[in-house]
Amino acid sequence: MMNTILRRRKGFATLSLVFLLFFAGAGIISLKNTVDRIPRKKIPGASIIYIPSGKYLKYATFGYSSLAADLIYIWAIQYYSTYTIVDRFKYLEHIFSIIAELDPRYTDPYEVGALIAYYEAKDLKLAFKIMDLGFEKNPDQWVFPFEAGNYARIAKDYETAQKYYERAMKVSGAPDIVARLYAAAGFKTMDFKTSWETWLEIYNTATDEHTKKIASKHLYQVNSALDMNVLREAIKQFRERYRHNPKDLAELIQTGFLTSLPKDLDGKDYLFDPKTGEVRPPSIWWKR
Amino acid sequence: MATVLQIDNLYKAFQVGFIPRKKEILRGISFSVDSGEIFGYLGPNGAGKTTTLKCVLGLIFPDRGQIEIFGHPHLSLEGKERLGYLPENPYFYDYLTASEFLDFYAQLFRLKKREKKEKIQSLLQLVGLEKARDLQLRKFSRGMLQRIGLAQALINDPDLLFLDEPLGGLDPLGRKEIRDIIVRLKEERKTVFLCSHILQDIEMICDRVAIVVSGRIISQGALQDLISEKILFTEVMLSGLAFDDLISLGEPLWARGEKIFLRVLHEENIEKLLTLVHDRKGKIHSIVPRTETLEDIFVEIVKQG
Amino acid sequence: MKIWTMALNTFKEAIRDRILYLLFFFAAVALIFSRLLAMLTVGDRVKIIKDVGLASISLFGMLMAILIGTGLVYKEIDKKTIFTLISKPIHRWQFLLGKFVGLVLTLFIMTALMSLIFLVIIFLHTSKIEGRLLLAILFIFIELVLITAVAILFSCFSTPILSSLFSISFYLIGHFSWGLATLIQKAKPGPTKLLIQGIYAFLPDLENFNFKTEAVYGLVVQPKSYFYSALYGIVYTVFILVLAMLIFKKKDFV
Repeated sequence: MMNTILRRRKGFATLSLVFLLFFAGAGIISLKNTVDRIPRKKIPGASIIYIPSGKYLKYATFGYSSLAADLIYIWAIQYYSTYTIVDRFKYLEHIFSIIAELDPRYTDPYEVGALIAYYEAKDLKLAFKIMDLGFEKNPDQWVFPFEAGNYARIAKDYETAQKYYERAMKVSGAPDIVARLYAAAGFKTMDFKTSWETWLEIYNTATDEHTKKIASKHLYQVNSALDMNVLREAIKQFRERYRHNPKDLAELIQTGFLTSLPKDLDGKDYLFDPKTGEVRPPSIWWKR
Repeated sequence: MATVLQIDNLYKAFQVGFIPRKKEILRGISFSVDSGEIFGYLGPNGAGKTTTLKCVLGLIFPDRGQIEIFGHPHLSLEGKERLGYLPENPYFYDYLTASEFLDFYAQLFRLKKREKKEKIQSLLQLVGLEKARDLQLRKFSRGMLQRIGLAQALINDPDLLFLDEPLGGLDPLGRKEIRDIIVRLKEERKTVFLCSHILQDIEMICDRVAIVVSGRIISQGALQDLISEKILFTEVMLSGLAFDDLISLGEPLWARGEKIFLRVLHEENIEKLLTLVHDRKGKIHSIVPRTETLEDIFVEIVKQG
Repeated sequence: MKIWTMALNTFKEAIRDRILYLLFFFAAVALIFSRLLAMLTVGDRVKIIKDVGLASISLFGMLMAILIGTGLVYKEIDKKTIFTLISKPIHRWQFLLGKFVGLVLTLFIMTALMSLIFLVIIFLHTSKIEGRLLLAILFIFIELVLITAVAILFSCFSTPILSSLFSISFYLIGHFSWGLATLIQKAKPGPTKLLIQGIYAFLPDLENFNFKTEAVYGLVVQPKSYFYSALYGIVYTVFILVLAMLIFKKKDFV
């Protein structure tokens, strides 16, 4: 009689523990989902912002400075793709100068830093600053003054553009197109067609993977800018006729404003938000 | 007879405590051990037995004094080639198996391969550990460790063997086995230096002893010289007599049923006792004369020291 | 010959130490993780893999050297296994040297294994193996040998925890000392400057063995640089070992 009571109590204890475990597990999963859905003000690792000058950081990494540069760079990429952080450009210069101090020869961060500075933060001066820094540490990389020149040209500052193209030209290994751009800089505004052709030539004549990749990124950007203009024009005409946004891009074809839907260079569809009427490319071009 | 171990005027002090204070352990130890004898080194705890041994083996450096092994300075490799050492509470590399362990030491003596294998096999047999030859030392019991310790001390067939408390932690059968091995070594003309607390065993096998108290040698010499043959008293077990009858002759220790156990101090009283028992038609069960034992001497000496 | 016996015994001891496998496991995880990490970057992926790989081999190798090395001599003294050993015909310096060689042998095998995983991953990504990477790994190994000597030195007279702290400090100072060089330039001439210069000349400069950047960027390194760095490593190791032998020579094993 005692035995069965004890056994029952033991069994009850085990069973209740198992249930508790199950509910705790379910709780963990559902809470994680809820927390994930809350838009983040910062992303983890944001305290990197508060690191003082990179010069001293190099001493603190005890021989692992290039690894530290890699990790901070990878973090920065995630940080700058998180569009919910609205004030993320405040420390743009600081973060990329830290990376430059830790590993001055690491070329990717300079380029991406300048891209973000120009296209997203709309800070031309910063883009120049980063490209200058990159060229100072790596005088053998013609891409830095070349891109600086491009930024200047798009901003219609032909004098600065010419100065940069000249600098790029002087570096051995620079493709001929740089010389031609130097010549053209004083006379022409670059339109999409020339832009496309420039980058296509660089892409085709590139001797290393690195340059090819940069060119391919720019090609994507030009192509998607072109496509988006077409799409935006069609959407505008649709709205003028029907007084509301199309429910999706396919509707533009049905109603005859477009003959076919453009796809991006990867073959993917463009993204459309019917509520706001905004159209977006499927990939962030500098991240490709 | 050749002197295999010669120790002259050994002094050693340690600095103990947080505020270092000098603590003298050895205060002028001198003695010698001759070839082919079993030498016992005795003393109470803390007297300096193990410290003396460590000085001889080069584990500790004495402040003053000279040590010679086989006529060589004690730290020389020639001396070490011919000695073996079994420390107290031995602890060995627990990640090795018994045979790997013996093999390692054999290599230090540069034994040739076949010689090595045979030696290891015979030693394992000698100490009764053949079955454990592939067992890791971490799984050995205290008694097994003692045995493998003895085996490694014998790996180079040493002429001089140092044993520090070799009989501790062994059951009576084990102790007898080790005692037998030591005696056999003597028969093979080896010299054995034995530190021990267990005086009965020392008394059984040693030829000469030295007694250390507080860092000084209080007494040394051949056992037979130290222990007189004089009979201290006689223990008699008898029955058939009453207590009162015996009071004048000796000291009754205990009685069980009919039997009385009596201690008789003087030899004349034995005669009188035997006559008395015969007259009263009693029975003598045993008569055991007790001579001086090493323990008696030891306790006496230590008390004086 | 006796040194080699001692070395093989130490090798057996080290290779049966579980901590070795724990560290190796983490190193392998780090190396494989580098591939995942590389996917997060924009631009050169192989650089990330190379950086993480070389850093892992260096870091985990150092931990192996220190965690095992600091126990090597201390355990023998503490557990009194050294008693029977010293009573055998072996010099104290042979014992110490044997311990050192045994651990170096163990580290050599571990480094080789980690490097193998690393090079396989690199090969999968780039279909080639660069000699420069092998040189960088070689010098990481030379650094490990020096750290092993340091760990054994400390193991002669302090507990494993303290020895580990000292050894890690040695490692950190060694990588920091070139920062001291900058400090010297900024200092005003005078006795302080001389003092700092004196200290600087003597402190270990472990950055000498750091060819990771050169390996990753494919920079040209003068053979002279390799030669003198290797020589520095060997001489400094000898210096540390001799120091250890002197300390160990007159030690009382109570």
